[in-house]
Amino acid sequence: MKRIINLIVNNKAYEIAVLPNRTLTQVLREDLNLLGTKEGCGIGDCGACTVILNGRPVNSCLVLAVQANGCNIQTIEGVADGNNLHPIQEAFVEYGAIQCGFCTPGMVLSAKSLLEKNPKPTEMEIREAISGNLCRCTGYQKIVEAIQAASKKMKKR
Amino acid sequence: MLLLPRFDYEEPKDLSEACRILAGLKGNGKVIAGGTDLLVNMKKGLISPTCLVGISKIPGLSEIEPQNGSIFIGSNLIVAKLTEFEVIKKKYPMLYEAASVLGSPLIRNRATIGGNIVTARPAADLPPPLIAMGARVRLKNRRGEREVELDRFFKGPGETIIKKDEILTGIILDEPPIFSGGNYIKLGHRKALEIAIVAVASFIVLDKPDGIIMDAKVILSSVAPKAIHAVSAEKTLIGEKPTDKLIERAANLASQDCSPIDDIRGSAQYRCAMVEVLTKRTLTAALKQAKKSR
Repeated sequence: MKRIINLIVNNKAYEIAVLPNRTLTQVLREDLNLLGTKEGCGIGDCGACTVILNGRPVNSCLVLAVQANGCNIQTIEGVADGNNLHPIQEAFVEYGAIQCGFCTPGMVLSAKSLLEKNPKPTEMEIREAISGNLCRCTGYQKIVEAIQAASKKMKKR
Repeated sequence: MLLLPRFDYEEPKDLSEACRILAGLKGNGKVIAGGTDLLVNMKKGLISPTCLVGISKIPGLSEIEPQNGSIFIGSNLIVAKLTEFEVIKKKYPMLYEAASVLGSPLIRNRATIGGNIVTARPAADLPPPLIAMGARVRLKNRRGEREVELDRFFKGPGETIIKKDEILTGIILDEPPIFSGGNYIKLGHRKALEIAIVAVASFIVLDKPDGIIMDAKVILSSVAPKAIHAVSAEKTLIGEKPTDKLIERAANLASQDCSPIDDIRGSAQYRCAMVEVLTKRTLTAALKQAKKSR
């Protein structure tokens, strides 16, 4: 039986009827048409589906939409300010941290959670924070450099 | 895309409602906390409960409560919070260490302490330190409540003594004794999203800073169907004055106390060798801590 749930996604309130077996990834992509959140492995290993749920980055493929009822969610679509990219997104572009782009939304959200908690992370802390997000293209080095650059950019603003 | 089979979902507002629902489901229901293990198994088709019972709305299950000396950790508390509370880091550093190497940051933000226990995976990170520190679990059903030593909770891979209508509501840890120390080391191929090849948790209690070992627990993980005691190592340690030689002897005995298998993560022979290394390292660190603690 479908259940009515309320979500706040990127500061916008939604009321949706969902079956209990639908994941948060599915509802974001299929019902809200927010296609920035990717599904990679579907079992919590790759982090492509990362969203920020009540302030913490999580694998949305392992969250039931009904469990997210009443929660505040940020997806990659909510990171930029209109047409102005977030400093993390800018740095990813500048430092060549994006190749195929499939991991990027998750990487950016994990990086954002880190920098909000810890504005000046060490390289190890950055690597630790993105350790649940797999990238098969970049070898991570450019992603780490981009997050280091973003940390400096955000300090200046 | 991996799809979940169909099921119903209940979200009780309190424990008694949760117990009533579980009893009514007659074994076809499953409690869902973080879902990081349960949903994976359901997606893979390994289990298909007809109803999931979400416990996140039940008051008190997601908190840590001090209770005259001991602490009660609600089963629905996420693993990330075990690494954030000062009391855990200070009083139960071994639990902090295990929590900070579980899964990945993303998994730790969903996975719960209760879930890491009830799923009874032979390589689970939290049970070894919890067993070593003498943790108890509180189980509740419609008829009442019982407390069981975690040491007696596991039966084998995925199997525990929990009844189908029971909910694990929390974990109780007593105040660590004076002059005690513990250490947990997990050996994996990488530092994140790793299932341990071998993990060891050691806990020792001294009678005074330079005294003899009053109590010793050496818990070996990923080398048997469930976390086990290195029985002969523990026996060797208790009543003795700690020396490098004694620790080496205990570590050697620990490697003979386990019965690992060969699998994709490592051979039985390698695991036994690593049990010896990790037992030595964890005991040495535990001893150092015990000498300083008061």
